Amino acid sequence: MPAKKTCIITIEIGTNAVRVVAFDLAGNTIASMKGSYPTFHSQPDYSEQDPEQIFITMLYVLKNLLNEHIHPQKIKVASICFSASMHSVLAIDKSGIPLGNAVIWADNRAKKEAQKLKDSPASKIIYTATGTPMHPMSPLFKIAWFKNNDKERFKLASKFIQLKTYIIHQLTGEYLIDYSLASATGLLNIHKVKWEPEALLYAGINTDKLAELVPIFASAGKLKKAYQNSLGINEDTKIIVGSSDGCLATLGAGVWDGRKATITIEDSGAVRVIGKKVLNDKKQRFFNYLLTENCYVSGGPTNSGGVIFEWFAKQFGDFKDQFDLDYTMKELIAVAAKVSAGSDGLIFLPYLLGERAPIWDANARGVYFGINIKHERQHFIRAIIEGILFEIYSIGKTLEEHCKFNSLSINGSFASIPLCAQIIADIFNKPVSISQHNYSVGIGAYLLSATEMGIFHNLDEAAKSIVLPEQYFPKKNLHGIYMKHFEIFEKLSNKLKDDFENVVKLQ
Amino acid sequence: MSQFLLRHDNSPELFQFGQINEFALTKNSSIRLNSFNDSCSEYLRFYYILDGKFDWVINNQHHTLYPADLAIILPGQELYAEKGYLEIGSLYWLNLHLNLQGKEDKNSLSKWSSISSPEFSSIKKILFFNKVPVVSRLQDAGSVFSMLRNELFNQQIGYVTRVNHLLDELLILITRKLTQQNISQRDFPQTFLNLEEALRKDLSHHWTVEEMAALGGLGTTAFSDKVKSYTGFSPMSYLINIRISEAIKLLKKPNANVTDIALDTGFYSSQHFATTFKKLTGYTPSQFRKNNT
Repeated sequence: MPAKKTCIITIEIGTNAVRVVAFDLAGNTIASMKGSYPTFHSQPDYSEQDPEQIFITMLYVLKNLLNEHIHPQKIKVASICFSASMHSVLAIDKSGIPLGNAVIWADNRAKKEAQKLKDSPASKIIYTATGTPMHPMSPLFKIAWFKNNDKERFKLASKFIQLKTYIIHQLTGEYLIDYSLASATGLLNIHKVKWEPEALLYAGINTDKLAELVPIFASAGKLKKAYQNSLGINEDTKIIVGSSDGCLATLGAGVWDGRKATITIEDSGAVRVIGKKVLNDKKQRFFNYLLTENCYVSGGPTNSGGVIFEWFAKQFGDFKDQFDLDYTMKELIAVAAKVSAGSDGLIFLPYLLGERAPIWDANARGVYFGINIKHERQHFIRAIIEGILFEIYSIGKTLEEHCKFNSLSINGSFASIPLCAQIIADIFNKPVSISQHNYSVGIGAYLLSATEMGIFHNLDEAAKSIVLPEQYFPKKNLHGIYMKHFEIFEKLSNKLKDDFENVVKLQ
Repeated sequence: MSQFLLRHDNSPELFQFGQINEFALTKNSSIRLNSFNDSCSEYLRFYYILDGKFDWVINNQHHTLYPADLAIILPGQELYAEKGYLEIGSLYWLNLHLNLQGKEDKNSLSKWSSISSPEFSSIKKILFFNKVPVVSRLQDAGSVFSMLRNELFNQQIGYVTRVNHLLDELLILITRKLTQQNISQRDFPQTFLNLEEALRKDLSHHWTVEEMAALGGLGTTAFSDKVKSYTGFSPMSYLINIRISEAIKLLKKPNANVTDIALDTGFYSSQHFATTFKKLTGYTPSQFRKNNT
């Protein structure tokens, strides 16, 4: 009798959608489904999501995937492993009922709270302890914002949790937060793996207002009976707490030792490395998230990813068919590919949304620089793409002040466009490999589950199972050209600080 | 073409048409001060510009109207000329007595219109969803007004039917144009976000895919495909997500009654609610409430 087939399910609670993937034990994808939910912007700096809708959407997608792909083939579900976007905060009352919507990473309402701490001497102590830059994205500042501006909610809140914590609580009744997600709250001492008293003091809470800290491999308890019945899975299925999307994308890209960096570019982007030591940057430019004991994912995030190119496409693309943004973007890429490296001296700073690493300047704005009478539409298109990738390089270059890497693994829909991958190789002067999968977060969660099951001895071995052939190699002559352009890009980014501030006052 | 003013209370031409309150063509060749200080009315009003340029304030927003533009003033909305007088030019206007708010009075509509009740409810939705009260370059509306005038004045055999058809035609024409111009052709996510907001605002309404598609400015099939690829769900399943999520929030409040919750969130009955809820969550609404309060 053949052995009964078994699968591992991963659930990624992303910014726009939940993605559920079923893998066989060897890591091949059996099925994948997604379901999206909205982000509400009731005021300019606000970005909120409805925890109930995310829960229902997750449940709906999971159920559909099980009913359409898993149960008909009688596949046993060994485990369900969670991952989620970082930095969300949800206040709940003593019965566990949400007090309003969850405030997500993109929410900037806590600007003042972040700036105030950044300007104070405590900043250095807290950054050294938590490894998280002083930025309004941090739950630390969001909770402080509630304390200062929404006293009612702050008073009623029995806990401040993450969206993932809420979802898991709905399913199992436990309030848990894994080390990685906790290390993105700005409240965790990543060296001691305990909540940091200095940060708690600033947020105005004590530890009983937070979920219980557990390792990423921890079991999240048993699925409630009602869900066992409605989903058709039994209590043997392990619910694994899992990690954050950023950490798992890095793991899923096969990046494990410090010699490789990973570049993710979707709407926004990041450059990350994994290492045994925390990057204690004097200028506090990098995040350091804890994956497992003594293993840190460090790097810098950018606001200026594919979203900038999409903005350009919407404004200046050629629309023949209704709503076909993808087609329009493909056409723009094809046009850009015909322009020579450096866009004939046209330089673009992509800071339409302000910028995080490495300049950390919320007031930064977009700039076209060096336009001459011979520049045509196609130069503007290519300069946009090069500008986005120069920004990525400026993060990479700053990271290399702390740790050298000699190859790159890239993922995300924007980074994996062949033209972008080649430009990345040329700018960085390093070979580039691409994750074939669109969901390296899911792969990372699979590796985590498979390690928990003993298929791999440890995450080190798991990460090594991801072998990505190097596909793009740097062209020496182009690297030189790009570096000349980058020099101007970098200078402008710093030089314009005052002017950015002034122009923002007019906007 | 000469000027005319037909009024329901004193023009025999309109005796057959209770739904038309006023229909007029004005050729304004001189300026009379304080001639256009209109305020709001209970009627659905259309103004179609034949020539001239008009600076009006509709529902507190400034609009400049040019020939072939059509202004739509919903019942209760204000309209007045910026300078206080009607500028030089000519225009048609038509005031219809249509119950647009609240539950429609089925009898009054079916007396004259051949638009089915669900389609009429979609038309209402779109008129109210629309935030821009001016449709530009709608020549077809001009033709409808001129045919309407001919029918009313000539009263040839079958004119009652023709007039009623022309009114239907006008409503459909305007609605279609509104759905097209409301939509940014380049930004489905934004369109979808607006639609999602409209759904939430009126969750108890029994939305149809046709209505949602019309608000999204697309045909039903194209709309369903777009929504499926964007959200992972069919439009109806997506709507159920919103309904259940809202219902969960209400269930967690101790005093709301389950039947009220069901109806408020757009389910046909508490039975329909319970079945859908249990299918998705494994709990009946009351079990869920017991476990979560």
